[in-house]
Amino acid sequence: MGAPGQVAKFTQITVKGTDKARETHKTLTLFSILPAMAKKAKKSPARSRRQPNRKKRSSGQPRRWFSWSFVGKAALVCLVLGAAGLAYLDALVRERFDAHVWQLPARVYARPVELYEGRVLSREDMLKLLDLMRYRRDSRAATPGSYAVQGNSLLLHTRGFNDSDGGEKAERIRLSLSGGQVRSLEAGGDRLARLEPLQIGSIHPQHAEDRVLVPLDKVPPLLVEMLIATEDQAFYDHHGISLRGLARAMLANVKAGRLVQGGSTLTQQLVKNFWLTSERTLSRKLLEMPMAMLLELHYSKEQILEAYLNEVYLGQDGARAIHGMGLGAQFLFGRPLEELEPHHLATLVALLKGPSWYDPRRHPERSLERRNTVLKVALNEGALSKADYDKYSNRSLEVVPRGASALYAFPAFIDLVRRQLARDYPPEVLSDEGLRIHSTLDVLAQLAAEGALSDHLDRRDPDESKKLNGAVVVVAPAQGDVLALVSNRSSREAGFNRALDAQRPIGSLAKPAVVLSAVSQPKQWSLATLVEDGPVEVTLPNGTTWSPQNFDNQSRGAMPVVDVLTYSRNQGTARLGLDVGLDKVAGTMNTLGVTRNIPLYPSILLGSLELTPFEVAMMYQPLSTGGFSTRLRSITDVLDKEAKPLARYPVNTDEVVDAGPAFLTQWAMQQVVEKGTGRAARASLPQDLKVAGKTGTSNDFRDAWFAGFSANHLAVVWVGRDDNRNAGITGSSGALPVWAQLMGKLPQRSLSQTPPAGVDWVWMNPDGKRVSAEGCGDARRYPMLEASIPQDSDGCGSVKEAGKGIKGWFKGLFD
Amino acid sequence: MLSVQRLVQLMLISMVLAGCAVRAPVEEPAEPMTASQELEGSPALGLLSRAEQARQQGQTSAAERYLERALNIAPDSSWLYKELAGLRLSEGDPRGAEGFALKALRLAPEHDDYRAGLWDLVATARDRQGDKSGARQARSKATALRNPKARPV
Repeated sequence: MGAPGQVAKFTQITVKGTDKARETHKTLTLFSILPAMAKKAKKSPARSRRQPNRKKRSSGQPRRWFSWSFVGKAALVCLVLGAAGLAYLDALVRERFDAHVWQLPARVYARPVELYEGRVLSREDMLKLLDLMRYRRDSRAATPGSYAVQGNSLLLHTRGFNDSDGGEKAERIRLSLSGGQVRSLEAGGDRLARLEPLQIGSIHPQHAEDRVLVPLDKVPPLLVEMLIATEDQAFYDHHGISLRGLARAMLANVKAGRLVQGGSTLTQQLVKNFWLTSERTLSRKLLEMPMAMLLELHYSKEQILEAYLNEVYLGQDGARAIHGMGLGAQFLFGRPLEELEPHHLATLVALLKGPSWYDPRRHPERSLERRNTVLKVALNEGALSKADYDKYSNRSLEVVPRGASALYAFPAFIDLVRRQLARDYPPEVLSDEGLRIHSTLDVLAQLAAEGALSDHLDRRDPDESKKLNGAVVVVAPAQGDVLALVSNRSSREAGFNRALDAQRPIGSLAKPAVVLSAVSQPKQWSLATLVEDGPVEVTLPNGTTWSPQNFDNQSRGAMPVVDVLTYSRNQGTARLGLDVGLDKVAGTMNTLGVTRNIPLYPSILLGSLELTPFEVAMMYQPLSTGGFSTRLRSITDVLDKEAKPLARYPVNTDEVVDAGPAFLTQWAMQQVVEKGTGRAARASLPQDLKVAGKTGTSNDFRDAWFAGFSANHLAVVWVGRDDNRNAGITGSSGALPVWAQLMGKLPQRSLSQTPPAGVDWVWMNPDGKRVSAEGCGDARRYPMLEASIPQDSDGCGSVKEAGKGIKGWFKGLFD
Repeated sequence: MLSVQRLVQLMLISMVLAGCAVRAPVEEPAEPMTASQELEGSPALGLLSRAEQARQQGQTSAAERYLERALNIAPDSSWLYKELAGLRLSEGDPRGAEGFALKALRLAPEHDDYRAGLWDLVATARDRQGDKSGARQARSKATALRNPKARPV
């Protein structure tokens, strides 16, 4: 990534607008008119011949096939047409070069890794990050993008980057990591450092062209020397075409007994790449030369060289065409062009002879041989010393495996970013203008989520057929940042985005909304209020009867509201919800962030409502923050191609649920993990970590859900089958293990146990109607809204009256 | 039987309670709340001062980004939310300001002056959204916090 100043100079020749971009695409189609013009040119003399013939016949003179006047006229026509053609070519050449040189797709970056003392980060994860960012080990960490391990500490030379807050300069920092934390950090006068954001993808909705622009002054000089030495030694002397070059190339080829040099100049190659299709036709060859000469007429060698380096076709990555050395460097070596070593540069130059023939991944031997030829030519031309030649020609290719790059590794998340951007930017801006999108993706959270889903599904469904699939959404709830999105157990595969598009019944995930609706009416309900877990029958308007069963087909009788949730009782929830009112429950769901229309059927109490995993994350977000609703975002900032800030996607938060009822509901959801249907998660989590959540299972075991949170991570897991058949799974067995593994891998903070103003801890009699005291029979302690604390006491303990927290403390004094 | 220790405890407590019964507790003029009370030793403090600088230079986007980063480091800081609220208010986004001010209140320490200031912020934000009664409510909360005697029991 270049600094803005460096890019500014470069853009002199790349300035363009979106209209121009469209025009340029037209030029390619316009170009097909040329052969038609040529045909016309052939026909025209014929027509001009017929007319004089007629005249001559009328005069009775003998017919002559040759006439000077005809030749003259024909020559004139040819000249005019030729001049017109040339003028047309000239316009074509200049338009493309001046107006629009390159399409630059929007690039998406993960959130930059922030380093500071006390940050939870294991050494293993740090090294994983450095590997993903292709930092190389170097004992002195002398250049950006390198690091050294020195005992307990790491010496890092970061790469600089820009951001809406000004970004960071490249700097050397010393970091010590132990006990899963950053213990100390020495940075230039500061206690904070940021690693550059990892590029995770780019967005090119229309044309599958991709490119990383590198201005000429950022291109390693050796690359230019190698390029000129192998491809066009007369580059600085010729005017677009070089007979000398052609002759020399032929000579060299004859000497070597094989093709070592090509005949066409760099300018001709650029013309080929820019304007012409890859067909090898004579007409193309004939056009190449005048266009190359026209190009040389209008532009400097430096401009042509820069264009060549950024335009040249280097291969194919699926549907994506790899254009330019910058992207080539990233595609093959996972690093910026500036950081490549001589043998890497030679591999890139080697590709020019034939991008697929010399593909270093598919034909490593061929590529290596050609690379060494390039190094040899560089040696002969004095661009490389003998020592360097010996050193680098013995190095292996060092190409990174395809797919090892973080680029395109997270298709589900990129899809989310793309959808968000599509709302705000027209497609041509995204495909052409080189926007830099700073996203919220946390690479470590993403990898943890992917691993948790695939580990679990590979255990449960190891068959080749792989019928079970799933989705995971991880959110930092306070700011609404989407940290990770997984929509396939094979997470590298794009396709159906289950996290965003699989709309499934949420089952018991609806229950916290029922509890919240109840405790929001504190005069009627508290978490201690008894609810009957018994048969329910409701006659629906269509005459059918709704009579939900519990998971264990038993009715447990009266139980406190909190237990209905903890043990996910269907009948208890149904009764509570019907008493509270379907409209209230639906209203609560809307308040929490469900935007769909919720039909007022009793079945919504047990989750007949269908939501996507992402929508569930939206619904659970205010529950995780104690009542503050924050829109989920996948983007924080948009910068232009010169890394100047263009737009922010700021955090916004609204208090949608009062502190008291929110705290109670959160506490009830903690009981689910402490002792209820979610308790299996405890084994994967630190003993004292307070988390909350809810299991969900839809009818016939089609969908397994778990949605839960700590103070800093909210994660939603869905597991099921795409064909929506019985998957034989429950929330506890199908989704909870994924959630637990994932949450166990992330740094967590406990949910606050301090009740907000207006909520007290109270020991309650099991009847839910009277205050009791600690140690009294089956008395249990609840967080209670003041409005729902009863006046009556069961008389247990020394204090006879109804009491609040402080009375129990006094009581303790007398015991 | 009451131990001597318990007896002393009880005596002390009854003395304190007796004091309460006579008149409202005399509130020490509290130290004004500062960012460092919450963020002492945290790298978030550095980001906060950078945010303040950026804001003074009119770079509100940069200021906001700094504050968001600071919150990632110190997520329970009421002060950082208060700063965000102030920033939003100055940017002409009273709705955003209200949300952040309420969040700041949720996280605020027991510091009456500080909390009163946050309610003032809420009141201003509500006023600017045309929510007169909401603004009035917020103002009366601020007043009650500044004047403990007038506080409803």
